Amino acid sequence: MIPAAFEYLVPTTLDEALSALSTHTDAKILAGGHSLIPAMKLRLASPKYLIDISRISDLNYVRESGGQILIGAGTTHYQIESSTLLKEKCPLLTETAPYIGDVQVRNRGTLGGSLAHADPAADWPAAILAVGAEINVRSSRGERTLKAEDFFVDMMTTALQPNEILTEIRIPIPPQRTGSAYEKVKQPASGFALVGVAVQITLDTNRTCQRVQVGITGLAPKPFRAIGVENMLKGKVINDQLLAQAAEKAADGVDPLSDIHASAEYRSHLARVHTKRALQRAVSRI
Amino acid sequence: MATKLIGERIKRKEDPRLITGTASYVDDIKLPNVHHVAFLRSIYGHAKINKIDVSEARKLPGVVAVLTHDDIKGVLKPMPCVGGVPDMHTPEHYPLSGGKVRFVGEAIAAVVANDRYVARDALDLINVDYEPLPVVVDMEKALEKGAPLLYEEYGENRGFTWKISGGDIDKAFQEADRVVKLRLVNQRVAPIPLETRAVLAQYQDRGVEGELTVWTSTQIPHGIRTSIAGMLNLPEHRVRVIAPEVGGGFGCKVDFYGEEVLIPYLAMKLKVPVKWVEGRRENIQATDHGRDQINYIEAAVKNDGTVVGLRVKVLADMGAYYQLLSPVIPTLTGLMMCGPYKISNVSMEVLGVFTNKMATDAYRGAGRPEATYLLERTMDAIAAELNLDPVEVRMKNFIQPNEFPYKTATGLVYDSGNYQAALQKALDHVGYTKLREEQKKLREQGQYVGIGISSYVEICAFGPSAATATGGWESATVRIEPTGKVTVLTGSSPHGQGQETTFAQIVADGLGLTMEDITVQHGDTAVVQYGIGTFGSRATAVGGTAVYLALQKVKEKATKFAAHMLKVDSKGLVFRDGKIFPENNPEKSVTLTEVALAAYLAKDLPPDTEPGLVATAFYEPKNFTFPFGTHIAVVDIDPETGQIKFRRYVAVDDCGNIINMLTVHGQVHGGIAQGLGQALYEEVVYDENGQLLTGSFMDYCIPKAHHLPKFELDYTVTPTNVNPLGVKGVGEAGTIGSTPAVVNAVIDALAHLGVRNIDMPLKPEKIWKTIKEHAPKKGPIIVA
Amino acid sequence: MRIEGNHTLKGKPEKVWNTLTDPEILAKCLPGCEKLEKTEEDTYKATLNMGIGSIKGTYTGQVKLVDKQPYSSFKMIVEGKGGPGFVKGEGILNLQEQNDHTLITYQGDAQVGGTIASVGQRMIQASAKMIIGQFFTALDMLQEQQPPSSETSSGGAPSGSSSPPPNFFFKVTLRYLWNELKKILRIKN
Repeated sequence: MIPAAFEYLVPTTLDEALSALSTHTDAKILAGGHSLIPAMKLRLASPKYLIDISRISDLNYVRESGGQILIGAGTTHYQIESSTLLKEKCPLLTETAPYIGDVQVRNRGTLGGSLAHADPAADWPAAILAVGAEINVRSSRGERTLKAEDFFVDMMTTALQPNEILTEIRIPIPPQRTGSAYEKVKQPASGFALVGVAVQITLDTNRTCQRVQVGITGLAPKPFRAIGVENMLKGKVINDQLLAQAAEKAADGVDPLSDIHASAEYRSHLARVHTKRALQRAVSRI
Repeated sequence: MATKLIGERIKRKEDPRLITGTASYVDDIKLPNVHHVAFLRSIYGHAKINKIDVSEARKLPGVVAVLTHDDIKGVLKPMPCVGGVPDMHTPEHYPLSGGKVRFVGEAIAAVVANDRYVARDALDLINVDYEPLPVVVDMEKALEKGAPLLYEEYGENRGFTWKISGGDIDKAFQEADRVVKLRLVNQRVAPIPLETRAVLAQYQDRGVEGELTVWTSTQIPHGIRTSIAGMLNLPEHRVRVIAPEVGGGFGCKVDFYGEEVLIPYLAMKLKVPVKWVEGRRENIQATDHGRDQINYIEAAVKNDGTVVGLRVKVLADMGAYYQLLSPVIPTLTGLMMCGPYKISNVSMEVLGVFTNKMATDAYRGAGRPEATYLLERTMDAIAAELNLDPVEVRMKNFIQPNEFPYKTATGLVYDSGNYQAALQKALDHVGYTKLREEQKKLREQGQYVGIGISSYVEICAFGPSAATATGGWESATVRIEPTGKVTVLTGSSPHGQGQETTFAQIVADGLGLTMEDITVQHGDTAVVQYGIGTFGSRATAVGGTAVYLALQKVKEKATKFAAHMLKVDSKGLVFRDGKIFPENNPEKSVTLTEVALAAYLAKDLPPDTEPGLVATAFYEPKNFTFPFGTHIAVVDIDPETGQIKFRRYVAVDDCGNIINMLTVHGQVHGGIAQGLGQALYEEVVYDENGQLLTGSFMDYCIPKAHHLPKFELDYTVTPTNVNPLGVKGVGEAGTIGSTPAVVNAVIDALAHLGVRNIDMPLKPEKIWKTIKEHAPKKGPIIVA
Repeated sequence: MRIEGNHTLKGKPEKVWNTLTDPEILAKCLPGCEKLEKTEEDTYKATLNMGIGSIKGTYTGQVKLVDKQPYSSFKMIVEGKGGPGFVKGEGILNLQEQNDHTLITYQGDAQVGGTIASVGQRMIQASAKMIIGQFFTALDMLQEQQPPSSETSSGGAPSGSSSPPPNFFFKVTLRYLWNELKKILRIKN
C-alpha cells in the first residue's frame, strides 16, 4: 500500500489546472482522491503528475440558475447530501448521496471525481442519468457540454479527453408532480452497488406518465438509461401492474457484469426487482 | 473472598489510551536509523522458481540488502510446527522460500532499505523467472488420483490421517431407526485483526554479550522468545521480546511466523534496527486463515430423535504448509464432536490435506466452531427429517444437569453444565412458542421467517499441559510495592481482552484496594516471568487463577506482617478499604501501606519471615473448562431477492462466574459479529489457478456495524470447580454459538420448501437460487 | 477465465488471415502495444501498456502464433508480466467465409495473477471483453483506412512509422464504444 513517486501540483485556478494538464503528459486530476489514491497505493495507477484541483474554490457550489441547478464538480458528496436547495428541487440527489461509502468518504469524495472515474458500480452515475443531467467539461482550448448518457462510454471510460477537466453538472429542475427514488443493493464488502436503480418520473393529474428516466448502475460495465423501461411507461396511465411489467425490461440489451459477489443472472434479476421498487416508490411520492 | 469489584461492570483501564490514540503499537515505536523491510511474494499459486534476479534492486539508492532463500539457507532453520499429530508428512518451509512456491503470497525475497518507500520501489526491480505448475485448491480434488502434487516426495496431498472414536459406532448404526446424512462446507475465512502483523528488532552489540530486542504483535511473547533464540542460536536470556499494544489476534497471532525470525536476523546481520509492518493485502494473503473443513456427517437416530451414533469424516485444508499449530486444530473438532449431547458412540476421521493456499491455523474457536456447526446443523436436519421441533431434539439428547462431571465418548470430562437451563432461558427470552405461531401465519402469507437455535458447549481454558501443544499452565506475580500499591505481572499477554482491568479486579478485591491501586503489566519478557499467552479462552480461567494464587501467597505474608504489627493472631484478619484488621475488631487496624513499608524496611521482621511482599505462582490446571450456552437468531428473508434481515438475536451464555460484566458483554458482541460474519459474508476465495480473489476489503467482507442485529444478551451461571475463581472463559463463545444459529435460522425460513442445507456464506444469491430452483418441484434441496 | 466470442471482418478469409498474422498490423491493433519485435518465427517480444481508465500497467512479454492452419485457424498466445502482475491468455481463432466477409470465432482461456487478480476481480472479465473489443475495432478501422498490403514483410519489426498514429486508440475505442452504445440504446444509424 505504498504508491510510486509522483510530482504533486496544486493549482488554485481552473486555468492553471488546465494549463498544467496540457503541458504534462501522464498527469491525473486529483479531486477527493477516493478512487485514485487507493489505485495508486496498489500501484495499479502510477501517474507521473497529480494535479490537485481541491483548492480551486470555484469548482465547489450548488446553485440555481435559469431553470437549472448547477453543481460544481468539486462539490463533495456530503455537501450534496446536505443541500437544502437540492432537497427541495432535486431530491433524488440528496437521497442517493448517503448511499456512497461512509461519512469520511462523503466528506472528501466529489461528484465530479466520481463521474470522471466512472466506476461501473458507483452510485452517482445512476442518479445523474435519471435526473437528465448535462456535464460540462473544459480544456485550455474551450468547453463543451455533454448529455450524461454520452459521457459514460464504457467501464471506467468517459468521453473526457486527456486534456479536459469536468467542471460542472447541470440538472434541469424537474416539473411539478415529479417523484424520484434510488434503490440500491450493496455489495457487502465494498459497499459499492451490486445494482443501483435511480428513477425520476413525472405524471400528469390523470397519472399519465409525462417523463421518466431510469438510470442503472452496477449491472453493466457502464451505467446506462433503461430505455426499454422508459418506453413502456411514457404516455401511459400508470398503475402497479404496468410498473412491474416495465421493470422486467431493466436488464434488456445489456451485457451484465459477473463476479464472485453476484452472477450476471442475479444482477439482472436484482435490476428488475429494484427497478420495480424504485418506480413504485417514486410514483408514491408524487 | 470479599466480592466488591468482581462481577461488576467496570470500565476498562485500557480504553482511555486506546480511544485517544495514545496507545503504542509496534509501528508507533520509533528507533533511530530504523530500516524497513518489504517482501516480494509469489504471484503464482504453484510454480518452480528458476531464477530470482535481485541485481537491479540492490542498485537502488537506499537499499542495503536484498535476501532470497539462498541467503538464509543453512543459516536459519525451517519454521517449527509444535501442533503435530502422529504419522504426518511434515514439509519444511523457510521465512523465504526457494526452488518452488506453493501459494500466492509466499515470501520469496526481502528488501531492506533506509526508507519504506524505497523498499517498496525495489520490489518492482526484482525479476523472478517462474515456471508455473498445475494448481490444486479444492480439497476433494487434491485427494483424487492424478491431482497435481504439492510435494512429489509424498506421492499424495494427504498430510495426515487422525482418528478418534468411542463406544461402538457400528452397533449404533445397526440399531438406528434411520440415518441422517449431511455434507457441510465450513469455508475458509481470514481472521483480520485490526492491527496487521508487525515486527521491529534491534540488536545491541555489547561485545560478547549482545542483546536482541524484538517488538512483535503476538499473543505469545515468551513462546516467540524461545523460538527466536532457538532459530538464531542465541542464548535465550539475551533475547527480549515485547508485545506492546496488540490490536487483536483472534488466534492468528498464536503463531510463529517467518517474518518474526527474519526481521531479528536482519537486525543482527545489518547492525541497524529493522522494521516490517504488514500491509492489509499481505495480511489477507500470508497470515493464517481459519476453518476450511468439509464434513461428511452420518447420524444414527431413533425415531424419537435420540442420537445413538455419529460418524464424521473431515477433510481439513492445511494449505501449503503447516504453521505452528495447523494439524492440531481439526483434532479439536474431533474431541468436541459430542457437544452438549449424550452421544455414546462416535467416530471421526480427519484427513489433513495440502492445497495451494495459505496455511490454516487457529482462528477464534479453532476447531470448536466447526464441531458446533456440524452438530447443530445435524440436530436441525434430524428435526426436519423426523418432523420434530428442533428444541425437542436438543432437549432429548442433552446431558442431564445431574450427570456432571460427565465423561464424553471422546474421553473428555465436562466439568459442570446445565444446557437445558440456557436453552430454556433463550426460548423464554425470544418468546419461542409465539414466534413459531407467527412464523406459521406469515408463511401462509408468503413471508419467510426463520428461527435458528444453536446450543453449544466448548472446550477452553487450555489446559492441562499434558494435553496442550505449548504447555498449558500460566504464571503471575503479585508485588505489593513499599507504598502499598500493587504491581501484577501476568504471563497471559493480552491483545484486547482487558486483563489489565479484570486481573486488577481480582487483586483489588483480595487486598481491599481500589482499581487505581493496581497496575497489571504484561507482554515484556524482560519484565514478566515466563508465561504461555492468551488464546483458547484461557486468560481468566488459567492466567486469572495464577494471579489469584499469587495473591493468596502474598496475602498470607502480608497477614503475617499485620498480625506481628497488631500483635494479634493472624487468623481472622481481613483486608478491607486499604486496611488489615481482625474481623471482630475493625478499630485495631494497620494500613496495607504500613505493612508494605514494614516488609521492605525490615526493621522488625516476624519470625521466619523474609523481607518484601512479592509472590509468584505457576498454575497448572487439572482440567479444561466447558462453557456453554444457546443462541437464537430470527430472520426474515425477502423471497424476491434472497436478502436476509435480522428480526432478533438472543444469546444466553454460561461462562461460569463473571469477573466483569462489561468485558464479558464485549467478548460476546465481538464473537457474535465474527460468527455471523462467517455465516453470511466471509469467505477467502481462490480461483482454480490459486489466485486469491478476495485480496482486499473490496472483496473480503468483514461485517460492519450496520450488518449486525441488536444483541439481546443474557447469562446463566454454572461455576466450574476446575479453578478457585469458578470461571470458565468467554472469548470464543460468541463465535461458536452464533454461526449455526444464523444458518439454522435461514434454513428454517426455507424449511417449508423442503430446503435442508445451503453452505456458507449464505449470500442472497444462493438463497434466491434455492427458492427459485425449488419452486416447481418438491423435495430437499442441497446447494453447494 | 473463459473467453469466447466472434467478430466479422470485411474480406475473404485469405485477406483476413494475412491481416491477422501480420506483425505490423498486430502491433497496431493489440491494445496498448508499444513494441513488437520478432524473436523467432511467429514469436514476438511485446511491450503492452494496457489498462482501463486510470488503472494502467505496462506488461512485457510475448505474442506467439502457433498451430497455423492457413486461412482457417491459428492459436494466439499472449503472455505478459509487469508491476500489476501477469496476464496469460491463449485462444484459438477460427476463420470462416460468409458472403465476402469473414466470421472470426474465438475461444480460449485467460489467467490473471498478482495485484489485479486480488483486488480487481469484479472488473477482470469485463476488462477482457473490452480489450478484445478494442482489438477488433482497431482491425475494422485499419481495414477501412488502408487495405492491408500483401507485400508487408513478415519479418520486419514495426518501425516508428508503423506505430499507431497519436490518439489512434482513443479514436478506435470511441468508435467501438459508440457502436456498443448504439446496441444498448438501440439506436439505428
